[in-house]
Amino acid sequence: MKCQFTGLVAWRVQRISAIYMLLFFLYMLSALWLHPWPTYVEWRGWVRRPSISVAILIFFAALLSHMWVGLRDVLLDYARPESLRWFLLAVLGTSLFGAAAWIVWLLLQVQK
Amino acid sequence: MKLSISRYNPECDTSPYLQDYEIELSPGDHMLLDVLIRLKAQDNTLTLRKSCREGVCGSDAMNINGRNGLACITPVRDLREPVVLRPLPSFPIIRDLVVDMTHFFKQYQSVSPYLINEEVTPEKERLQSPEDRERLNGAYECILCACCSSQCPSFWWNPDKFVGPAGLIQAYRFIFDSRDRATPQRLDNLNDAYRLFRCRTIMNCSEVCPKGLEPSHAIEMIRLKMLNIDTPRGLLVQSSAGIKKRELK
Repeated sequence: MKCQFTGLVAWRVQRISAIYMLLFFLYMLSALWLHPWPTYVEWRGWVRRPSISVAILIFFAALLSHMWVGLRDVLLDYARPESLRWFLLAVLGTSLFGAAAWIVWLLLQVQK
Repeated sequence: MKLSISRYNPECDTSPYLQDYEIELSPGDHMLLDVLIRLKAQDNTLTLRKSCREGVCGSDAMNINGRNGLACITPVRDLREPVVLRPLPSFPIIRDLVVDMTHFFKQYQSVSPYLINEEVTPEKERLQSPEDRERLNGAYECILCACCSSQCPSFWWNPDKFVGPAGLIQAYRFIFDSRDRATPQRLDNLNDAYRLFRCRTIMNCSEVCPKGLEPSHAIEMIRLKMLNIDTPRGLLVQSSAGIKKRELK
């Protein structure tokens, strides 16, 4: 089996990330319902908990990888000229990588 | 009966156009192909493929009132008039209802549609248990008419890269054949962004298959096989009433 982020690997990532995001979304809803944080300080205290920070990090990793597979599929289907397709894939990859770096930076800021 | 048939002669037409016909039905006109054969006797420039006339060869696949099917097994009484006939969508038109199936057969060829077994050839034949044989049901019946691939949007976008439902149901037929010894290579051959995973489960293929087969189920079974999830039964097939049922022994 090939090991690139394509084919079966991409297909599996898309499904596993969808399941994780759904579970995380339900967890967030229930957490907000059970413990509504009225102030920023309280919310920040909750996010700073290591387990929550890791769960949020995994959520965004799942979101970005899910976006990569889904948007890559759209470009593979509809961006017909080969050069335009590679250009748009590069723009997409760079944007998602930038978003990932920004999210990591934000989570590190919250930890301070 | 009123018909509107797509005409295209590459020697004098710049693009296809619809030509209207009207023909009196005779008592022997049971299927659409019967009507087309009589129509061709009146207008011998009308071009179409046909051969067995009983839904076995797949030659007369065409788009009938917006839906792919075989003219020879399409009852005339079920058709809404005017009957609009076009060539199979997305395939390059050679003339009138005849299309170029080069990409289609290249994709079929790319899945190595034959048994690969380097073991010593037995004296008589390679035996198979009834259970193993049952797993081929719903796949071996494919007649390669191209109704499914031609109705598949994923095949429209990438006919040179996506194997298409017809090719994939053939891939299934050999991946799940207990006598074949090339399963890892076959799965590896399909494991990229295009060949298998361009399928977006639109399921037009299963909707239009004139033999009642389920290429989308075959594609799902191949994915499960890639995940090493083995399923003991064969493919779903459709009954004549269009109700899905599993073919039994």
